[in-house]
Amino acid sequence: MVWENIKLAFKDMMASKMRTLLSLLGIVIGVASVIAILTLGQSATKSITATIVESGLEMVTIFPNRTDKASSEFTEDFGDRLMANVKNIKTVLPVNSSSAVVRYGQESSSITVNGVLSTYAEVLDYHAAEGAFFELTDNITSRQVVALGSEVAKTLFPAGNAVGQYISLFRTQAKSYLVVAVMDAKDASFNLSFNNSVFIPYNTYTQRFTKPTAVGSYVARVSEGADPLLVSDAITEYLDSSVGSSAYRLFSPASLADMASQITGTLSSFLAAIAAISLVVGGIGIMNIMLVSVAERTREIGVRKAMGAAPLTIMGQFITEAIVLTITGGLIGIGLGTLLSWLVADILGWSLYISYTSYLLAAGFSTLVGVFFGWYPAMKASKLDPIEALNYE
Amino acid sequence: MADNVISLYDVRRYFVMGDFIVKALNGVTVSIERGEFTAIMGPSGSGKSTMMNLIGCLDTPTGGIVQIDGEGTVGMSEAELAFIRNQKVGFVFQQFNLLGKINALENVMTPLLYAGIGVRERKEKAIAALERVGLGDRMKHRPNELSGGQKQRVAIARALVNNPSILLADEPTGALDSNTGRQIMELFEELNSEGRTVVLVTHDHDVAMHCRRQIRVRDGRLEE
Ligand SMILES: Nc1ncnc2c1ncn2[C@@H]1O[C@H](COP(=O)(O)OP(=O)(O)OP(=O)(O)O)[C@@H](O)[C@H]1O
Ligand SMILES: [Mg+2]
Repeated sequence: MVWENIKLAFKDMMASKMRTLLSLLGIVIGVASVIAILTLGQSATKSITATIVESGLEMVTIFPNRTDKASSEFTEDFGDRLMANVKNIKTVLPVNSSSAVVRYGQESSSITVNGVLSTYAEVLDYHAAEGAFFELTDNITSRQVVALGSEVAKTLFPAGNAVGQYISLFRTQAKSYLVVAVMDAKDASFNLSFNNSVFIPYNTYTQRFTKPTAVGSYVARVSEGADPLLVSDAITEYLDSSVGSSAYRLFSPASLADMASQITGTLSSFLAAIAAISLVVGGIGIMNIMLVSVAERTREIGVRKAMGAAPLTIMGQFITEAIVLTITGGLIGIGLGTLLSWLVADILGWSLYISYTSYLLAAGFSTLVGVFFGWYPAMKASKLDPIEALNYE
Repeated sequence: MADNVISLYDVRRYFVMGDFIVKALNGVTVSIERGEFTAIMGPSGSGKSTMMNLIGCLDTPTGGIVQIDGEGTVGMSEAELAFIRNQKVGFVFQQFNLLGKINALENVMTPLLYAGIGVRERKEKAIAALERVGLGDRMKHRPNELSGGQKQRVAIARALVNNPSILLADEPTGALDSNTGRQIMELFEELNSEGRTVVLVTHDHDVAMHCRRQIRVRDGRLEE
């Protein structure tokens, strides 16, 4: 019987194609916009996350605030303490930075000076384009050597050949540093900028460049295979208990990525919910066309009743018709929404992530709309008086 | 004891029309035996269709008792009435009342669908019924591709297909020319001679001559 009803519904739909199409418009637009919003939302999340991942998900950066408690905790050996208390940290690198002016010959530039350990470059996958990043002994002996970020090198040495030259760094006084390396260009990640920075040995920074009272920041690298989110949570937990939450700020790309996907997720759910309202409007369109259909086919209903169709049978026929209508609309909407998402993603340069759950959601929702808004017209049909229906002009 | 397939006892059917009441049937008592061929006659507006609709369980009486095949229909639910219409009665209308979007075969198959019969058996029975009325070669035709007489034959096949005890026809020849009408009447006669109870409404004395029994209605009452 269900199958016969579906066939009947298709016959009736095909009998007036244009009208069917118009009455489906609401559902089509509703479903298409829900699909487009969910698909684009997911695609946006994925591309934002991908950008963040590129900048190093496995890094967690800790910035001490200037408080009494902080100065006693955030010392040179903080890294060892942290690694003893929190599992799955590979290394912790202290970093001191401040702004300074760099000069070579007539060229000068305002830059960030970072005092870092010799392992810094390797830990951050930051490679030398020319020369080699300074070594452990350079740090121990506090040598005045410097690795230039790519932009800095370009400004000071437009002609190249920077390695082996001496540049001046001004802070309180000018000091001359030997260029040992020019680094590759690297995108700035959260709170770490590379290209407009220079890097000098940590000890050189603290002893010769400026005398900081506390370490500027710590870059912790999460062990391979460990979940950066869990590690950053563990670090937060440890720091909250040792120095309190006001003594530091913590940045981890992993938690940012998480936050970003939560925000886009919430946003797209919100928009999808608004779009779903248009589905309800579409449902009213379905109800309208079903009422018209019932009125037009009053005589048919009378004939069917005369042949022995029970009220439930008639009801089933019209509910099925409403569901077939809305599902057809839903399928067209899914196609249209996918096409739209594909276009927008293509224009914005995102890679498209098809959300199959949204397909299921749309199909389920349009069935529901069909049942809900088909109910009343179907009930009306089933309650028609056979004689009145048969004599209907 | 007579085997009454239709029994009406003091059946009344009133229609409330604003301030006054139309007594379309006003106390009709009549029995029709199994295998009878009965014509209901009477002037326009006398209540013939009303009576047929009550026998066919398309309508319920204001008062009195209607029994079809020994079963009282008063107080039955819509679903139960639908079952009687499907199983016990076959209805033929003046205006054919075929479903226009489906072909002759599908039209005849429909009552079997409502009887819950599987598609293969539906097809077999519907083909047999169409062949019985002489339309074996028109099964795939839509109603608008058939002549009036052919349409009425499809309608008769459809009324027959569930093998009902009673065949009801409300002016079945009313929309046909006299020649075609005669052929349809011959078909009813044949069906009756096969043992089927036939009740039909007609204005036409020639038509009524085919029937062995005639019931006359006037102003909602019988004048037999
Ligand atoms: N639904 C209705 N509402 C009000 N009055 C009705 C209704 N149906 C029938 N009647 C009235 O009941 C009376 C009998 O009608 P019915 O249709 O039974 O007549 P009939 O004998 O079949 O007439 P005809 O030969 O013209 O078909 C008529 O006066 C008619 O106007
Ligand atoms: Mg009549």
